[in-house]
Amino acid sequence: MASKTEERVWETFLRRPGDLREGVEMPMALRDLTPGKNKYQMRHVIALVTRRADEAASMDRLRVRTVVGVLLPDTWGVRIICDLPIELPGRPYRDFYEALAKAASSKSQTSR
Amino acid sequence: MFKDTRDFIEALRASGDLHEIEKEVDWDLELGAVSRLACEKDGPALWFKRIADYPADRTAFANPMATWRRVALAFGIPVESSLKDIYAEYEKLEGKLIPPVIVKSGPCKEVIKRGADIDLFDLPAPMLHDGDGGRYLGTWDMAVSHDPETNWVNWGMYRFMVYDARYLTGFPRPTSHLGKVFQDHYVSKNKPMPMALVIGADPISHFTASATYHIGGEEAALAGGLRGVPVELVGCETNDLKVPANAEIVIECDVLPDCVGLEGPYGEYPGYRTGEMGNGILCRVRAITHRKNPILTVDATGYRDDSSTITALTGAIAIKHRLERHGVPVLDVNVPREGAVHTAVIGVKYGGKQVAKEILETLTSRRALLSKILLVEPDVDVYDLGKVFHAFSTKCHPAHGIHVIHYEGRANTLTPCYSQGERALQKGATALYDCTWPGEWSREWEVPVKATFDTIFPDSIKQKVLSDWRSYGFKD
Repeated sequence: MASKTEERVWETFLRRPGDLREGVEMPMALRDLTPGKNKYQMRHVIALVTRRADEAASMDRLRVRTVVGVLLPDTWGVRIICDLPIELPGRPYRDFYEALAKAASSKSQTSR
Repeated sequence: MFKDTRDFIEALRASGDLHEIEKEVDWDLELGAVSRLACEKDGPALWFKRIADYPADRTAFANPMATWRRVALAFGIPVESSLKDIYAEYEKLEGKLIPPVIVKSGPCKEVIKRGADIDLFDLPAPMLHDGDGGRYLGTWDMAVSHDPETNWVNWGMYRFMVYDARYLTGFPRPTSHLGKVFQDHYVSKNKPMPMALVIGADPISHFTASATYHIGGEEAALAGGLRGVPVELVGCETNDLKVPANAEIVIECDVLPDCVGLEGPYGEYPGYRTGEMGNGILCRVRAITHRKNPILTVDATGYRDDSSTITALTGAIAIKHRLERHGVPVLDVNVPREGAVHTAVIGVKYGGKQVAKEILETLTSRRALLSKILLVEPDVDVYDLGKVFHAFSTKCHPAHGIHVIHYEGRANTLTPCYSQGERALQKGATALYDCTWPGEWSREWEVPVKATFDTIFPDSIKQKVLSDWRSYGFKD
């Protein structure tokens, strides 16, 4: 489901610098910053991100925080390609991001 | 004794330990900032009466027991009680267990929501700190879970954040009682674990949920003993668990054995946000029950939060009893508030290498929450941090007096000084600073004589000076 009806602002957390890559479809956990009582609702998605201002102009905005919650100064553009399940298959206490990548990979294979 | 949060709020109002905020406050950071500053100022408990985006019947009560006055009040002893007296009161009562009683219904069933009616966003969960991973609904809470093999019912205070309208993620550490039962008895069999997240029960029930209590110990019976009357429990709607009938809110869920949840990071009780993120547990909500005008209880987690009093207190007594069982000549234990449950001061009859080794091994064998231990002799009051620091500065030998034990797989992953890599491996260390004189030193010939009023003058002079004190022109 594409997200571009009106500009929305999303936020994501990264474990390491460089975890966010441009030009590739990436599995991501996004939280919705739309004001109101549902603010910060989470969503698992496959999305495209960009730092280029011309591309970002037609996308939703993405704010990025580090693993300790520090907000980075740059805003990215993000386009949601499709959703991944909230019930993400994996082992409790194991790496969430590995599970997210696995879910994205099986989604891509299914849709091929 | 207080039957619920509302009773406790009334008592806090009467003792001057409550501040009610009528002005509308935003759940998004403002509520957290006000509550945080109140903790750091040793301020009163807070009752937020108007919360932005929410109707007037949704309120929040923050920092229930974040000062020793409020802990004393919850225990039913004078609010001016000394720290030593509060410790003694808990130690006196903790062995007197009173099992809970089951009742047919209770106020927590006034509103029952299931299926499509479930919406966690109907509760004003605050974004407590800027940059937290989510809105934490579970801070001053108790997670009720059940060990199917032994029938043990555990109450634990763990953090839980709202993921979406029907899901919570949480991080009861893998080494916690809930984490262990979940992994050993549910994940291994690929069965969902029923859990009830209770918010706003009576203060002593929450106190016991955060207590350092032995595996297999029923916190519900401990709470009954501390209260002097049994806790009334009522059955859940969607599972066999029982919860305090007078609670404000109960969230019934399944903790999923085959899913992982993104949880954190979160500004935690050590006073830092350490980057503990991902790798949580995912809970699918099956029902929410609550009072008609539910009060959300909140711990403004961080420096001098509720854990700095209650977790410290129960941890200290648990340490004392464990050391006694292992033959350590322990006299008293204090886990000071400012140490964020990372440092313990242990008073012993005598120290030395063997005692240090025994203490380190005993306190780090299953999980190691403490990273620093100060060992002092009977001449030092463990509750007087000035005297403890004096002993540390003068008696701990910088080369021979520091003993360190290293471990992996059981370190406290929230300890800020550990690297991200160490945290991933639960790898850490505990250092013991022996602030006692070496046992082989002669008391007559080698041990330095302490030059304080109490120790370096004959009794006759001390008595004379004390009785004549005002005659020297002093007022006190």
